[in-house]
Amino acid sequence: MQSENGFYGQYGGSYIPEILYSSQQQILQAFEEAKHDPEFLAELNKQWQQFSGRPTPLTFCANLTEHFGGAQIYLKREDLNHSGAHKMNNVIGQGLLVKRMGKKRVIAETGAGQHGIATALVAARLGLECTIYMGAKDIERQYPNVFWMKQLGATVVPVTTGAQTLRDALDEALRDWSSSHEESHYLIGTSCGCAPFPEMVAYFQSVIGNEVREQSVAQFGQFPDRLYACVGGGSNACGLFLPFLDDKEVEMVGVEAGGKGLELGEHSIRLSHNLGKPGIAQGFATMFLQDDAGQLQETHSIAAGLDYVGVSPIIAHLAEIGRIKMTYAMDDEVIAACTLLLKKEGIIPALESSHALAGAFKDAPNLPKDSKIVINLSGRGDKDIFNVAKAVQDETFPQFLTDYLASYPTNHADHEEQNA
Amino acid sequence: MSQLAAFIKEKRQQKPILSMTHVVYGYPSVEESLDWMARLMKEGVDFIEVQFPFSDPVADGPSIVAACHKALEQKLDVETCLSQLGNLAKDYPNSRIVLMSYLNPMYRFGLDKLAKRAAEENILGLILPDLPIEQAATYQAACKANNIDPVWLVTPVTPPERLAMLASQASGFLYCVARSGVTGHSSHESKAKQTSLDDYLTLIKQHASAPMGVGFGLRERAQIEQLIGKADIAILGSALLDAYNKGGQEAGIKLIKDLFSLKANQ
Repeated sequence: MQSENGFYGQYGGSYIPEILYSSQQQILQAFEEAKHDPEFLAELNKQWQQFSGRPTPLTFCANLTEHFGGAQIYLKREDLNHSGAHKMNNVIGQGLLVKRMGKKRVIAETGAGQHGIATALVAARLGLECTIYMGAKDIERQYPNVFWMKQLGATVVPVTTGAQTLRDALDEALRDWSSSHEESHYLIGTSCGCAPFPEMVAYFQSVIGNEVREQSVAQFGQFPDRLYACVGGGSNACGLFLPFLDDKEVEMVGVEAGGKGLELGEHSIRLSHNLGKPGIAQGFATMFLQDDAGQLQETHSIAAGLDYVGVSPIIAHLAEIGRIKMTYAMDDEVIAACTLLLKKEGIIPALESSHALAGAFKDAPNLPKDSKIVINLSGRGDKDIFNVAKAVQDETFPQFLTDYLASYPTNHADHEEQNA
Repeated sequence: MSQLAAFIKEKRQQKPILSMTHVVYGYPSVEESLDWMARLMKEGVDFIEVQFPFSDPVADGPSIVAACHKALEQKLDVETCLSQLGNLAKDYPNSRIVLMSYLNPMYRFGLDKLAKRAAEENILGLILPDLPIEQAATYQAACKANNIDPVWLVTPVTPPERLAMLASQASGFLYCVARSGVTGHSSHESKAKQTSLDDYLTLIKQHASAPMGVGFGLRERAQIEQLIGKADIAILGSALLDAYNKGGQEAGIKLIKDLFSLKANQ
């Protein structure tokens, strides 16, 4: 979606410290040139295909469709990307742009670690130095992802300020960029931040919706009647929705994280039920969860990838003008949706994507039998093994962890010395 | 002429360089921060730059970030802050107050209201580092209507034509950021390229008719001396906070005296 000078209605824009002006202008120009350069686009498509495994399938879910007895349910399988999520579409695009700009280093923020891993993968492949900022609390909760980032050669920096989560990691990435802008690119993971990041990330993610346009016509002879996507930062939703923006008959539903309840601090609902308020922070204007004095607030979701305090200015605008209908799913509904997909279709969804499932499953029984809905399965759920095991109260898991720990060699350094 | 620029020009008749010292409002408590501001003005600093805390201060380094987060453990209110600063301005007429914050808390308060209330409380300048001049038309108009100054920042990597534009728009003073990066010491420091401060300030002076303040990374007397004749105000932020954290008001005052050799306000 084209912005007007970086704005989407009243949202978006560029609200960055003066020190970043030149670097931002450089990205604006590089992106503008790259998206009109056939060679860049050919390389992008090649990397999407050969590195990430695109195009991803559109999967019909016969069992779920029968179970609900309403709309015919299809999943867009972004979980089948390399790295297991749609994040790959964006990091490949920005990674190639970094090479084009001649920069040697990338900085990224990450919450759950999915964007961190995707960035580290691409940095390794393109030979870029890579620094990932991650809240110290997120590092504790998501250590397996941190482990892989480090194995991939990235430097993972724990952020110990504020709530020590995604918002603080983003602040710290911006601070690094303020110092290192001449050599480094800030590889933001979602369609947020100052212009042109929302537009650029949405552009790279739009491969999702562009594929669905072709696949839906090929598989069932029409565009989908309705699209569903979870909305954290908003990049997978932008990717599925934006290519259908001008097709007025295609309805769009964004699903936010209802978390544990609607009290401030228990959820991450920014766009419905008057819970978020307009604000300007972290480089852009959007709806933020904040108190009446304009201080940004804590959020919660069972899915770490959905607990961002702001939201893409593109989604905020489209929700405001009514093009996208916003709803939310609570933590327990999300686990139920995840479990249902496992049992009925043999697919392991990420908890983020399970929000989209939960939103769609509520509507499906009431939709006509000949209607077609596409749910963006933005990521796979292997990463959520600990959280899901806890949520379904698996009895054997704690024993497994205890046994594993007992057999774990803790004097690793000594072994190395002996072997040397 | 702007009230701020007139004050600076008059003060500069007696001093080779003026001092601006930074204080985080509400750190470690509202009362202690107000007491610290009063002490600084009593000791004769020319300006205090008061930072109203924001949860996500992206242009600041670790010292100021930590102080802002500590301050935000209590509920802070912009209106109360402005009235309290107004009282200080009355008590210490030989110094001036500028208010610094990030856009969001001020945006929620209302930029029109902010300019009006700041002027009423004799706060003559406003610094909002994440509000670029391109998005600031209504804010500029509100400042102008109330005869106070928005303070714009320029940096060593600001392109020359943009630097000329910002310098020409500056009225009270122009805030010249001395180096890339965030305020104070931080782990990011080594990543920044060094530029010659002299060349940079000379270039700005060619374009700026407003007085010039220099900040970011100042912590030694030699740095202040280097600015004499090239700038009007030296801005002391994180270094002062670090001294205050180590040894309270006395350590802070000692640092200022070492750096500026101040004479107390009578």
